[in-house]
Amino acid sequence: MSESEEDFDNWIIDSLKSYKDLHVFQMEHPINVMDWTSQKTVCTAGSGSSKSEILELCLPPKLFADENKSLCAGRDFTVLHGAFTDRIVSCLQHVPGTRCIVTGDELTSDLQVWDLGGDESDIIRRTGSIKGKSQVSEGGVRMATTPTHPPQILHGSTICDIHLTELNTGTTLYKNESDSAEPLSSLQFLNDRVFLASCCNGDVYIADSRMSASCRLSSPPESLDRCNLWWTNASVGPDLSSCRIISLSATGEAVVSDLRNQKNPRNVVSRAQLNLQTHQCNLDHVMLWWAPELKDCFSVSGFSGEVQIYDTSHWRTELQEVQPLFQHCGHAVSSTLSDRDVPPLVTSHIWHPSSPQTLLSAASDGSVHVWDWVIPSGPEPEQL
Amino acid sequence: MPEINVTPLGAGQDVGRSCILVSIGGKNIMLDCGMHMGYNDDRRFPDFSYITQNGRLTEFLDCVIISHFHLDHCGALPYMSEMVGYDGPIYMTHPTKAICPILLEDFRKITVDKKGETNFFTSQMIKDCMKKVVPLNLHQTVQVDDELEIKAYYAGHVLGAAMVQIKVGLESVVYTGDYNMTPDRHLGAAWIDKCRPDILISESTYATTIRDSKRCRERDFLKKVHETIERGGKVLIPVFALGRAQELCILLETFWERMNLKAPIYFSTGLTEKANHYYKLFITWTNQKIRKTFVQRNMFEFKHIKAFDRSYADNPGPMVVFATPGMLHAGQSLQIFKKWAGNEKNMVIMPGYCVQGTIGHKILNGQKKLEMEGRATLDVKLQVEYMSFSAHADAKGIMQLIRMAEPRNMLLVHGEGAKMEFLKGKIEQEFSIDCYMPANGETVTVKTNPSVPVDISLNLLKREMALGGPLPDPKKPRPMHGTLIMKENSLKLVSSEQALKELGLNEHQLRFTCRVQLQDPHSDADTLHRIYTHLKGLLKGYSIQHLPDGTVMVESIVIKVSSSSEDTNTKVLLLSWSYQDEDLGSYLSNLLKKGLPSGLC
Repeated sequence: MSESEEDFDNWIIDSLKSYKDLHVFQMEHPINVMDWTSQKTVCTAGSGSSKSEILELCLPPKLFADENKSLCAGRDFTVLHGAFTDRIVSCLQHVPGTRCIVTGDELTSDLQVWDLGGDESDIIRRTGSIKGKSQVSEGGVRMATTPTHPPQILHGSTICDIHLTELNTGTTLYKNESDSAEPLSSLQFLNDRVFLASCCNGDVYIADSRMSASCRLSSPPESLDRCNLWWTNASVGPDLSSCRIISLSATGEAVVSDLRNQKNPRNVVSRAQLNLQTHQCNLDHVMLWWAPELKDCFSVSGFSGEVQIYDTSHWRTELQEVQPLFQHCGHAVSSTLSDRDVPPLVTSHIWHPSSPQTLLSAASDGSVHVWDWVIPSGPEPEQL
Repeated sequence: MPEINVTPLGAGQDVGRSCILVSIGGKNIMLDCGMHMGYNDDRRFPDFSYITQNGRLTEFLDCVIISHFHLDHCGALPYMSEMVGYDGPIYMTHPTKAICPILLEDFRKITVDKKGETNFFTSQMIKDCMKKVVPLNLHQTVQVDDELEIKAYYAGHVLGAAMVQIKVGLESVVYTGDYNMTPDRHLGAAWIDKCRPDILISESTYATTIRDSKRCRERDFLKKVHETIERGGKVLIPVFALGRAQELCILLETFWERMNLKAPIYFSTGLTEKANHYYKLFITWTNQKIRKTFVQRNMFEFKHIKAFDRSYADNPGPMVVFATPGMLHAGQSLQIFKKWAGNEKNMVIMPGYCVQGTIGHKILNGQKKLEMEGRATLDVKLQVEYMSFSAHADAKGIMQLIRMAEPRNMLLVHGEGAKMEFLKGKIEQEFSIDCYMPANGETVTVKTNPSVPVDISLNLLKREMALGGPLPDPKKPRPMHGTLIMKENSLKLVSSEQALKELGLNEHQLRFTCRVQLQDPHSDADTLHRIYTHLKGLLKGYSIQHLPDGTVMVESIVIKVSSSSEDTNTKVLLLSWSYQDEDLGSYLSNLLKKGLPSGLC
């Protein structure tokens, strides 16, 4: 047995205890982006050399079968709908309450609007596009949606070109009046009007789509590396004061802040130094998400072949080194890449919206894993 | 233009009743002859009336080919051959030939003995049917008749599963049956050479899925076994002797070793001998790893797995038992099941498909009370787990196979058209080929454009060379004259002289004549001389003679001149040539119609 097979076998045996459910799939092309289209369906975009394939997949029925789970045979993804596009899709957003998705690429700030279709056909059809407002900055366009009627999309690639556009008519509903050309790392709605615009340099802006001026929040804590890249994600609560923001730097420094203190809007709650492979040179796929149903936990990927989950509940205000609560190594050990010296990189991951410990992750070798992990027992978090 | 017709006779979009008719080069072939497991009436068998309304099966079909031993691919075979009536050859691989009758007999027993159905095939019919079977080896070309040949390729779905190439002359079709593109512990991956068939016919039951990995299926199996053992329960695994029992034993043996587990594992008597017998016979059909293992040690000499005795079933404490048969319809597996069914700590793991009417089928449908013989009821309290280990190609696998075989057309059977539009588009875009998805009873016709090779005699080629002109270029078509002789399935192009000689025919002369009017104010003799000079200057390398009898001859073409009776300046040229010189004759008549150049003397 080869060394890699043995690694995988060992991991599978360990997984008996550490995962409730585990499904491993191999796609034709690596998946770069994904978003939920319902509780049981996910839309993905993966690319070969020059074009992308957009697929709407139905998750294995066994994963969601409560009664008679043991008799449920369905362990496979079902391809519900699909489409091709000549562009390399770098972001994808499902518009809540509709059968629409919006995609963007790295070369332009134009967006494509697609209809996922119903039972009568399995083709995803392009129904329109939204003309970009500026030359796109490196890293491409960012998007965010919130359930509204009629459907709207918030999009932009820099702070100064954030627009809220009505999907059906293409009408601009809001334009951010800022002169900063700082590239965005993410856009996120905190409620149906207020959104967070996070910059790659660590600046975080909070803005209200009813007012066109944006209010600057704060800079990241002093960092040695002035050129540091930052990623940000906010947990969405019933009101803004319960919202928590996690920011992570390319050197692995993580800062949790909240919006409670009005005078110092970005009130640092705690911080930690994560155990990440920060020497990675390709940081295009870094992803950072709060767990939607697991208090104080967030996940991070894109630094290596692993997806890490951290629990911030015991973090303090002074910087300390922390270990992940859980680490999904499946992509690294099951890689089908022939060159084992270049381990696969996790390209994307998302949390299931309601199943607290279920995640989907994809890697550069075309693997996609669906996993329902078990919180390690014992007082100490799992050691690496 | 020649064409290939494909008509699926199968029953529908769910699994079952695979049966496809192919007409190619005047031959009719039936691919698989499966039954639908979900029906008890006529719908369980393919609709053979499609053929029999016009005559007997034997007259219509040149051969029947069975891809593998699963009943949805071979279950209707005795019905077709013995009850509808077919006496021609039935081709299948050696393992399929060995396993198919066992499964058919099992199935017959359940249907007739348990369910009491009449109007079903008998044991004798299965035997008679199997006498018509001709075994196939992998990669061996078998001549069905002078023109029809077939060749089996490894499909990796179950032991003995094959894809088959059907060839008549230069036209060919590949039928995949069920196949699997990912090797596992048990079997290798499907393989075919770049045979560029006119049509690749593939099953598409799993075409719209992306399959979960085999390792995760195995993981769930180990997890369930381990959990049951840990809570002190007993695990029953009903298996078919020749299925994947070996694979699961290897898996458990390794797991027990690793986890240092002590609970006993048993397999029922008879299983070892049978399995080893077949594995020795068909070891070439398994994957390389098993072949190596088999050389090193006997497949069933396990450290943790021991032979089962029926008294063990009552032993206290946890244990795992592999027992036959796999559908819990009789024998040891059913006996153990009855003993263990009442305890919720226990578990039964069903690793395969169960036929309707069996206990296996009932418990997989969630039935909690079973009616047993003698009006007794059995409460099913133990846990029931279904685990399919079957290996099928998914959407990605289909694409891989197309890349391998490079077909000119793709045909997907047994799928739902509306759900496969995207796959169809993907195949058509990526490979620039047409993709068809016929419904049952619907015929797809594919026009083929086979290139026909013709031998050319060396003499003819040499003559072509001697005539000059550019040297032959393989990329450019070039017209040439000759006689095409079709003889004993071969075509050759020879000179007409040689053709006459070979065929013993007399030569007939055929000449064309034509008149050309020309304005030339000279005497007839002078005009003729001017023509001679003109042609001499133009046609270098041709034999041109001015004969004393007042004619000019260019090769076989005779030219004479006479004056018009009304106007002496109007000359009438008489041209005559043999049909062999038709090109030159036409050329000269056209040339002379244009008149003679003025500068000629």
